[in-house]
Amino acid sequence: MFNISSFVQKAQSAAQQLIDPMQGLNLTNSDRNPSKASLFQSQFRLPSSQTPLFEIPAELTIPPSNVTHGGKDHDRGWHYAGRLHLSESYLCFSTTPSSFAHTASTSTSSAFAGQTHGAGPSGNGFTFPLCAIRRVERLNSQNFQFSLAITTWNGIAQEQAKDKTALKDRKDFREQRITIQLAGSRQACERFCDGLKKGLRGAVGSVGRLKRVIAECYSEYLLRPEEKKNAASPDAGLGVVFKYPGDPKKLRDRAKMRLWAEYLRDNGRNATLIRQPTFHKLIRVGLPNRLRGEMWELTSGSFYLRLETPTLYTDTLDKFMGQESLAIDEIEKDLNRSLPEYPGFQSEEGINRLRRVLTAYSWINPDVGYCQAMNIVVAALLIYMSEAQAFFLLSALCDRLVPGYYSSTMYGTLLDQKVFESLVEKTMPILWEHLVKSDVQLSVVSLPWFLSLYINSMPLVFAFRVLDVFFVEGPKVLFQVGLAILRINGEELLDAADDGAFISVLKSYFSRLDESAHPKSENPKLRAINRFQELMVVAFKEFSAITHSTIQDLRLKNKDAVLNNIENFAKRTAIRNLGPESKVLSPEELGALYDRFYGVLYERQQRDHIVQEEQRRRAKASKTRASEAFPGHHDHGVEKGRVGLGPSTSLMDYDAFREFLASVSKWAISDAPPPSPRRDPSDRSPYFGSFRRSDINPLSPWGNGPEPADHEFMQRLFRKWDVTNSSSLTLQNVVTGLAKIKGGRDIMGTITYFFELYDDDEDGKVDREGILRVSEALLFLSRRGLEGTLSNSNSTAMLNGMTESDSASLSPPIGGSVNERFLGSVSAFIRRCFEYADPDNLGNQDEAVQVTNPDTPIIPKGDPSIDNSTFAIGDDEDEEDEEDILALDSPLSQPNTAAKQLDLEPIPPAIGKQAEITGQRAVSKAQSEKANIALDPSNPLHITLPTFRMVVLADELLEQFFESSFPTSLHITDGLPNTTSSSSLTTFSSLNFSRPATLSPPGAQPGLAGAGRGLRGVLDNIVTDASRVAAEVRRRMEEAQRELEKNALPGQRDEDEEDEEDIQGPAKSTSAYGGDAERRSVLSSDRDLLDGADAGAGATKEDDGSSQSLLGINSDQEGRVDRVSSATQRIVEFES
Amino acid sequence: MADSNAPKPSSSVKLVLLGEAAVGKSSLVLRFVNNDFQENKEPTIGAAFLTQKCNLPSRTIKFEIWDTAGQERFASLAPMYYRNAQAALVVYDLTKPTSLVKARHWVAELQRQASPGIVIALVGNKLDLTNDGESGRGDGDSEGVEGEDPGDARKVSTEEAKSYAEEESLLFFETSAKTGYNVTDVFTAIANAIPETSLKSTRGPGASNVASRAGDEQRVNLNGPREAAKEGCAC
Repeated sequence: MFNISSFVQKAQSAAQQLIDPMQGLNLTNSDRNPSKASLFQSQFRLPSSQTPLFEIPAELTIPPSNVTHGGKDHDRGWHYAGRLHLSESYLCFSTTPSSFAHTASTSTSSAFAGQTHGAGPSGNGFTFPLCAIRRVERLNSQNFQFSLAITTWNGIAQEQAKDKTALKDRKDFREQRITIQLAGSRQACERFCDGLKKGLRGAVGSVGRLKRVIAECYSEYLLRPEEKKNAASPDAGLGVVFKYPGDPKKLRDRAKMRLWAEYLRDNGRNATLIRQPTFHKLIRVGLPNRLRGEMWELTSGSFYLRLETPTLYTDTLDKFMGQESLAIDEIEKDLNRSLPEYPGFQSEEGINRLRRVLTAYSWINPDVGYCQAMNIVVAALLIYMSEAQAFFLLSALCDRLVPGYYSSTMYGTLLDQKVFESLVEKTMPILWEHLVKSDVQLSVVSLPWFLSLYINSMPLVFAFRVLDVFFVEGPKVLFQVGLAILRINGEELLDAADDGAFISVLKSYFSRLDESAHPKSENPKLRAINRFQELMVVAFKEFSAITHSTIQDLRLKNKDAVLNNIENFAKRTAIRNLGPESKVLSPEELGALYDRFYGVLYERQQRDHIVQEEQRRRAKASKTRASEAFPGHHDHGVEKGRVGLGPSTSLMDYDAFREFLASVSKWAISDAPPPSPRRDPSDRSPYFGSFRRSDINPLSPWGNGPEPADHEFMQRLFRKWDVTNSSSLTLQNVVTGLAKIKGGRDIMGTITYFFELYDDDEDGKVDREGILRVSEALLFLSRRGLEGTLSNSNSTAMLNGMTESDSASLSPPIGGSVNERFLGSVSAFIRRCFEYADPDNLGNQDEAVQVTNPDTPIIPKGDPSIDNSTFAIGDDEDEEDEEDILALDSPLSQPNTAAKQLDLEPIPPAIGKQAEITGQRAVSKAQSEKANIALDPSNPLHITLPTFRMVVLADELLEQFFESSFPTSLHITDGLPNTTSSSSLTTFSSLNFSRPATLSPPGAQPGLAGAGRGLRGVLDNIVTDASRVAAEVRRRMEEAQRELEKNALPGQRDEDEEDEEDIQGPAKSTSAYGGDAERRSVLSSDRDLLDGADAGAGATKEDDGSSQSLLGINSDQEGRVDRVSSATQRIVEFES
Repeated sequence: MADSNAPKPSSSVKLVLLGEAAVGKSSLVLRFVNNDFQENKEPTIGAAFLTQKCNLPSRTIKFEIWDTAGQERFASLAPMYYRNAQAALVVYDLTKPTSLVKARHWVAELQRQASPGIVIALVGNKLDLTNDGESGRGDGDSEGVEGEDPGDARKVSTEEAKSYAEEESLLFFETSAKTGYNVTDVFTAIANAIPETSLKSTRGPGASNVASRAGDEQRVNLNGPREAAKEGCAC
């Protein structure tokens, strides 16, 4: 049970991850050889739920009425050759020749990662959600070719407003209809069409959702007929109320808006938008304020995330309302200092929006939580988009566009700094050399550029221009711009000799971005080009060779070094920050402990991941034909998580704890034979309710390591270390726990520690049950032999005058013998515990405390009632030792040792002889009586710490066990020399026992077959004894209890189980949490803000000439390659 | 520190500021460099770099100040900034006990990882939020600042921090970046504590050239002055 609730939580949070966080990363093996699915998702910016199902070469024809610019093809429309892809809920077309078919090579699959010529990875084409497709018709054509006419729900929101027929007549409403000619074999075409048919059928139900989602898109409002514009416009960000940064006149916002309106009218809007070259050109010249948010959403793909779970944002806020977290504290600190100079963030409204978006994101991605710089980025987004849009865009950023930038280790940031440095070294070797020589750290300058996406470095208007392109083209833009900045300032930077000078050069450059790049030029057009335009040209022309795959390759190359760095730092810091208790362990031990702790956690995480993959694969295989199309498609290599990637796990649950123990100590390895490859799925750990992933895992549930034992002692240890009762251990818990055992090397401390482990209610008393459990634990811990320094000479153990004899100093020559003696010691331990136990009932105390001289030999009474419960185990450790030695020396003396057996009902063959010896080795009458009392459940008793200490110290072996053997049995630094489970050694197997002793669970009654068979039998009996003593006593107690109370109480253990079930209850109910989330529009509260907002946006007031000239500048430059003469030939042309 | 034209030996000292988020590191620097205070300072992303001179009777010290980001996860970037630092300001917030814990961590980190002989000053900031802030205004350069916070928000006693500082042989100050109380004193004390031997003269002529071009005493912030930018491009 310990880990169920945390497991549920993890599952929950995993389910809430919108995109596989590893997806955009170039960090795992799967990225070295990424799955086709993730490549597909990256190209079309689709959610991780989408996998490529079918694809086919095709030609897209956009009919003339839809064409923005008439050209030579005007009469026939516009044609694009490319590939048509179908996923579960998307139909995508791209001119980029990428293929995700299982036969495709890596290079064709990642074709989009190369040069994109300004069109971004998805190229020209479209990304239609299937629910946005209204109708697909097969056209009759010659050549028996497949020709599909696709009609979309373009303008659906507008259409529903009035009845369709009325609108159809309107000239500004045009049904969007495109044709696609499939160019494949007939069979391939049919397969594709079947898939499409099926997908379309499934998508019918989502049309309503699509309507709701696009209602938040400004384009819907923009394209609405003039007379309907009085309706509230969608939330286009804080800028609507607080003004957008920059002067709209200078930005030529209206002209841009007009161009966009025209483009969208012709090519579809939001979900049904078709990307043509004009689209990318329009983005390059800077998006108009009110459309900026929507275009960012579309080009980054966050729109598709929003379409998938439209209410996630509001649901998350509702779900976690009123809850606190560390991230929220951190967010609060920064709310007032996020773009503080923007008026919107001097108002409550702006601050509240920022708070809500950051908080909601910190909940759905707790691994990231909140990172400084996110506040700046989100604040910038909120100027242009609604809260929900910003929320999903932040998701897309963190998961795909700048993966790992804001993670708790910021490995993405550090990695990209390394990548940037190597790009500088490659492209500007002289500058690089200069940096190295003058000891300037480039990342000191460039890190904030990347982390805040230039928002914090450049004037806002320019930073947003960078963002416009960044969302289309992806992270490579950040590198291109960065390189261009250095290139343009190259000469000045070469003069700068230290960090300070370096920084001030760039600072002054950023402050003059709006100045003319060629102030002295004769040519007025050239003079009109400002420094920012120059920067863009240099970035995308001169550094056009920097592609997505360049970045990916360099990330891969630098990944290990960066992660190692982070991990070393994290380890150093973590160890240093462990409390003062940890200081008793050596630095090496702490280091090793740290490694083991995370080693276990990450290995388990990895196994979990494999299991989940496997589950998913099976679920899929049984379900759809998807797997038919791409058999064996799920080739994700799984890489072990790393500390450097962030604290995906930092808590150790009970199962992990067992595994951890099994890696450091012999006794924590299970006795069970290696599990059969396939287990019964219902197989659960008998107690603790721990969930074993083994059930579905074809691999061993414990990886390559041995299967850990699951003994009650380990549970107690876990609970003891888990000081916060959170059912999980932190590194600090583990270190503190181990420090107490291993640290002091002081026997009294260890004894006390052990006692406290069993003192459940912390009243300084351990009851009968506890005593038995202690003895079980001692046997459990020693069953593979004792370690540490065990003195071979039995020194006199004198305690309170009760033990005065000195034992035989003959020591057994072999280790096994020590262990045999230890078994005896444990038996003696039980006996003594009961002997010296205090009764709970004070009235009986006098009697109980009465201690007779154990040396007085008295023949036990024949009373059978006593007989059964009398401990006939050697009553005097000295004698016992002698017996032991005798037993070892000669098999003949075996009967003597057998006497140690408890005289119980199921009498083994040897019992006859045993009786004799029992007679010889007399037990005092008083003692028998006392023992009798001890076993009488109606006389509860307990031992106190002093008693426990005394009993332990009374036996040299036990003493040594606590002094050295137990602490040394935990091999923190060196680990276990030999941990293969098949050769899991027990004392007995090392002594060639045929049958490994099963000591736990204690309810089991081991047979006594070994008795009477020489040495083996002796040993076996000894072991059996102790467990039988325990078992028998428990049985009696239970019987008695049953008699006492009609309501039979199950044993202690059953109670434990019940407790655990209680815990399980609430955990289960939390897992159901959030199921009935309220659905309401994000905008409801924001709408009123928009009342009275500029309703004339998008109205065409200026003459067409000016708006065309906007593009004119652009096309002007195109033909002017030669005209621009700068030493570096930076300005070639803006866009080809 | 007006007369920098005296022919005194001049040397540069690399100084790094460390401490929990929002304890006022950047504000301390802003006060020291520009004698200014901003209520809502943007959080430092990565680090900011500034320079300021400090005139001692015998010499001039040019501080090259690295002001780092405070959030926990930026900690792994810190080595990049404290590398070769000769002095460090470890700042905590007098009104937040956890910030002193974090400060202790930084001190430990510096003692182990930074250059040996680094001069560390422990600085408790936001004295203006405590009652001592009142008395603090009486002396030093903070005259005339009106107190508007009568409640004592102090959560870390001077004794506690001071005894810790003594234990670790750190310089110790309580300051207010808002009022300016004790701020210059911190830097002066650090300048005095830098051993003569570890001072090297200002790096090459190139450095001073560029520095003077950029205006020596100016705050050089990695965050560009966006308000300064004019718009109007339609490339």
